[in-house]
Amino acid sequence: MTMIGRRDFCRNGLALGALAALPLGISPASAEPKRGGTLVYATVSGPGTLDPHVSSSAVELEVIHNLFEGLVALDNQNATRPMLAAKATASDDARTYTFELRRGVKFHSGEEMTAADVKASLERYQRVSPNAKNLADVEAYEAPDPYTFIIRLKQPNVVLLDVLKTPIFPFMILPAAQKDKAAREIDVVGTGPFALSEWVKDSHLVIKRFDGYAPDTSAAGRDGYGGRKTVYLDAARYRFIPEATTRIAALQTGEVQLASTIPTELRGRVEERGDLAVRQVFPVGGTYIIVNSQYGLTANVLIRQALAAAIDIGEITDATGGINKANPWMSFPNTPYYLGETAPTPWYDQKDPAKAAELLKRAGYKNEKLIIETNSNYQWMRTTMLVVAEQLKAAGVNVDLKVVDWTTNAAHMQQGTGEWNLSTTLFGPDHILGPQQWRPMIYAFPSIKGNDALDGAYKEFFAAPDLDQRRAAWLKIQQQVLGNAYMIKIADSGRLAGYAKRLKNQSDYPGILQLWDLYLD
Amino acid sequence: MLRLITIKLLQAAPVILVVSILAFLLMSLLPGDPAVVIAGDQASPEAIAAVRHSLGLDRPFLERLGIWLLRLAQGEFGSSLMLNQSVLSAMGERLPVTLSLAGLSLAITLPVGILIGSIAAYYRQTWVDSLVMTVALVGVSIPGFWIAILAVILFSVVLGWFPSSGYVPFAQDPVLWLRSLVLPASMLSLFQIGFLARMTRSAMLDVLSQDFIRTARSKGLSEWVTVGKHGFRNALVLVITAMGILVSTALGGSVVIEQVFALPGVGRLVVQGIMARDYPLVQGVMLIYGFAFVAINLAVDVLYTLADPRVRYD
Repeated sequence: MTMIGRRDFCRNGLALGALAALPLGISPASAEPKRGGTLVYATVSGPGTLDPHVSSSAVELEVIHNLFEGLVALDNQNATRPMLAAKATASDDARTYTFELRRGVKFHSGEEMTAADVKASLERYQRVSPNAKNLADVEAYEAPDPYTFIIRLKQPNVVLLDVLKTPIFPFMILPAAQKDKAAREIDVVGTGPFALSEWVKDSHLVIKRFDGYAPDTSAAGRDGYGGRKTVYLDAARYRFIPEATTRIAALQTGEVQLASTIPTELRGRVEERGDLAVRQVFPVGGTYIIVNSQYGLTANVLIRQALAAAIDIGEITDATGGINKANPWMSFPNTPYYLGETAPTPWYDQKDPAKAAELLKRAGYKNEKLIIETNSNYQWMRTTMLVVAEQLKAAGVNVDLKVVDWTTNAAHMQQGTGEWNLSTTLFGPDHILGPQQWRPMIYAFPSIKGNDALDGAYKEFFAAPDLDQRRAAWLKIQQQVLGNAYMIKIADSGRLAGYAKRLKNQSDYPGILQLWDLYLD
Repeated sequence: MLRLITIKLLQAAPVILVVSILAFLLMSLLPGDPAVVIAGDQASPEAIAAVRHSLGLDRPFLERLGIWLLRLAQGEFGSSLMLNQSVLSAMGERLPVTLSLAGLSLAITLPVGILIGSIAAYYRQTWVDSLVMTVALVGVSIPGFWIAILAVILFSVVLGWFPSSGYVPFAQDPVLWLRSLVLPASMLSLFQIGFLARMTRSAMLDVLSQDFIRTARSKGLSEWVTVGKHGFRNALVLVITAMGILVSTALGGSVVIEQVFALPGVGRLVVQGIMARDYPLVQGVMLIYGFAFVAINLAVDVLYTLADPRVRYD
């Protein structure tokens, strides 16, 4: 049996590029945190639902992560740490996971959370969540006593805990009474440090401090989405303000103390005020050119590699603006699967039109039309593809650019439908969660079929008990995906948030909004 | 009067039918498969098939049209996919905001627009006329979106007179309700004031050159009675026509203003519906707005007869 507990949860002693732990907005000599007050937060729009099992959008998750908690959570190094579980034990064959639950954890309704609630929550997740396929290998859930929960798997899975820590479609624990509720129809009752108080659709949402909250006393302080959470605020009010200029105005007038998604070109208007500041939230996602490997020209690997050779990343990020940093890998630098300088990345940022022309010649390219599909909803995507089109023309490719709406564009990429060779998108938490989370994306978006090397590398990954072995498999996977230009990595990207300097103790962990430990001076 | 309203309602019936059919065609005019668009980019083929079935998209066109009209006759305007509630209930929650905004905007527009239009007509061909008409031209020409953002910066950030965004219900605090709406309603009024001032000026110019005005003056009536009573009463029909258009533009213009000032009204609901590809919602709201515009036109026709006894429809 392998014991996995508290801070060393699934970390395996890996040396990571650790984030600095110093919080923002507070100096070492600062006074004690002040309790009380209501933080007003201006966000782009309101949530459609607060059902964690079906939520993947940021505006929903930035409320949900303050109301609910899961068995495990991401820590500030993006590794797995316990949250509602005190300890997890994996059997040697990685087919049985036993969770010892923390005692005395209360739901907002006042009832104690037990293994029956955990079992009911995961059963509901399997029924309603779009991410339910990640639990497809589960043979049975068992709750032998109120504080023990067991997952039995049909086949070994060494990364089950990594699956359970996902911040999107999160595996949050609800009261057992919610088990049979349909998707989006739950009562909003969790174990988180805040409880829902008021929600007026399209206007605002208020969460208030949950005085019955049981913090994880095994931790010294907050740690990513987990750790010991302390709530100083009486309440937090989310205001839904779609216009960036109005969000900034609300910050300037003092109506709000925190504002999400500040456009780069407007950051000066926030920073010109001495009482306001801008915080860079980075990295949030990675941007990619998707190459359809099942349609026309781009079914040919030489053509795909020619396209990758022609791409100049700097030109693209200069044109799109925003917060971008070069990274040839499909994992963020501060995550367990980031490979850094351990292997060459010849596929990245080649900006070599001559090489592209040579590869096109070898592929027998005869000036056939290459179709780029983009959308009218996201300006950065459209700009990216306009620049890519020019770069490919310079390499001698006959390019045709089509603009559709985002839903059609995304559906074409996910389902492999439509007539297109190149498109673009952004992937988020996959860069944190690692290869197991990437798998469905890698196969679906570029429509990869019949790549035995890729299939084999994934088999190696899931069978490898040791993190180093899994990292080696992840290198092979990326060499297949990026080396054969099924996807072309552009950059890691982030966003800006504006805040009043009287809002203290923000975490520099670049995750979804965490309101615990914040206070107003 | 009852006969007039009955006739007008009967005349409105074909218009309502056409509006209903146009709203229905929204689904058919979507590029690609509406079920894919509605089910979303992460939907499985089963989910897409379920959406197609639930919307009846797997049935023949004429059958779908017949079902749509039958449901409308029973008062069913459909259900929103993103909100998981009926369109009528979603609109009902947000209508007080939009009606407050439109009502306050009209309360600002009517006195200001009529007054400055009348002044421009009275002082025609003078610098006063030129000034008023230039201001009116600016009002109808400047994009509402842009002027609203400038107003937020000036009146909220620089002067601190009004909140930059948000809405407070009347029942919660009437003073804060008014304060939250003055700036957005004023911005919504800018276009309308310009439009109404030009219409009023034009109508008053026609009237003030009539013989009966000259007669009134020669009788020794004061200018106030001559222009304000005899003149304006006769220009009122044209002003009422303008008011019908103003109510319609107030509802339409609220889409942009609600977005800028983050007001939780019907306009913002429509924008979110469009962004989320919630076509049943957009379809339902479009239809209800269509009905509202028909009702406004009916009200204008009735007002004509009250304002001018010479107007008869028989």
